[in-house]
Amino acid sequence: MKRLSRLLSPLLIAALVLGSLPVAAAPVPADDDLVGTTAVLDASSAQSDRAKIREVLARDDVQQQLLAQGVSPTEVEARVAALSDEEARQMAERLDQLPAGASVVGVLFAVFVILLVTDILGLTDVYPFTR
Amino acid sequence: MTGPFRPQERKNARIAGVLVMVAYLLLLTGCATAPQLTPATRDALPDRVRLDDVPFHGQRDYQCGPASLAMVLNAGGRDVGVDALIPQVFLPGREGSVQPEMLATVRRQGMIPFRLPGAFGALLEELAAGHPVVVMQNLALPAWPLWHYAVAIGYDLPDESLILHTGMTPGRAVDFARFDATWARSDRWAFVALPPGELPASLDADAATRAIADFEAARGSRAALPAWQALAERHPTAAMVQFALGNAHHSTGDRPGAMAAYRAATAADPELAPAWLNLGLLASREGDLQMARRALARAAALPGPWQARAREEQAALDQETDG
Repeated sequence: MKRLSRLLSPLLIAALVLGSLPVAAAPVPADDDLVGTTAVLDASSAQSDRAKIREVLARDDVQQQLLAQGVSPTEVEARVAALSDEEARQMAERLDQLPAGASVVGVLFAVFVILLVTDILGLTDVYPFTR
Repeated sequence: MTGPFRPQERKNARIAGVLVMVAYLLLLTGCATAPQLTPATRDALPDRVRLDDVPFHGQRDYQCGPASLAMVLNAGGRDVGVDALIPQVFLPGREGSVQPEMLATVRRQGMIPFRLPGAFGALLEELAAGHPVVVMQNLALPAWPLWHYAVAIGYDLPDESLILHTGMTPGRAVDFARFDATWARSDRWAFVALPPGELPASLDADAATRAIADFEAARGSRAALPAWQALAERHPTAAMVQFALGNAHHSTGDRPGAMAAYRAATAADPELAPAWLNLGLLASREGDLQMARRALARAAALPGPWQARAREEQAALDQETDG
């Protein structure tokens, strides 16, 4: 499965990039729709074309990462669709480092304090700085 | 333990280490100072606020994210429980919920998430306006983070305490200094979730515009229209807001509404090329050629990313009317 996706991913990325190129290169047809709000906002925040391409690719990437983190396949698509472009890029680039609010406060903090005390007493050997 | 230290030296080092640790903890907790409010902010705020209509959901295991979301979504009138939210926001691999997905889940439930500027005054302002605020805290120390979401539902200025629905405890009072120390470790991350049409008290037009545009991209213009209308009412001279309102009107099939909004946008900022461009395109479809020509000419004269498109449209219109 992992090998398969390793083989498939570059192909899919290449297909996506190639697929989106003609759209970017094609001249805007004369009676195309109006200029969209996000297009103007992105332009005014001086977003480079490269950043925009990254955002297009980001959603696929995030989908893969969410699946790998155990999100059910039926939920993945809707979860990714609700992200803004900026959020999708954030998730794609540094999901591992994003803080995940969880908090098992009572338990973990108590354990920490107990271990700290026991470390100081010399009963355990968990935290190097107490030595 | 076969280090080069003799037992006596190791004991001294241990005592020194404990002292450093105690000093560090004191620095982080005991000496934390209460955040300062500017006198203007202080005077504008009521002394005590408590939003009693925000329901409490106790968290199970690692579910403070879904529980916090359920509280603010219920307060905003959305009937959704923690169990329905868990598959939408919880990341099993991380045993928690990450910030971007907290915001995305609010959108999926049809409400708009507005990130607040990371300032204590903004947090209190929202509470005073009746909006519960989801905050992210690191309850432990930076080196051993304990990331946690909670919902602020009130404050007491004379008592210097914030009231939080947190973990398993509803309405817990935490003093400002301790709260701010834990909140600062998440870079003071916070948001309010509001139904389209309600606006945060503490945001400027630009930040609100971005938040509503992101909601519109996920949920469509019909859902976002009340939010644009409310924002345009609050900031009648913000050109970008009028422009966005025009786009939302256009997407929902209201051409006269869209034309009026684009006109308001160009009146507020005659340099806003996309507003001229959209106004021209729409006018030409409506058969108002005089207006179309005038607007496209303005758009074509403004340098920027839309100039090329404007010139093309201008040429196309001239060709059409000549031939």
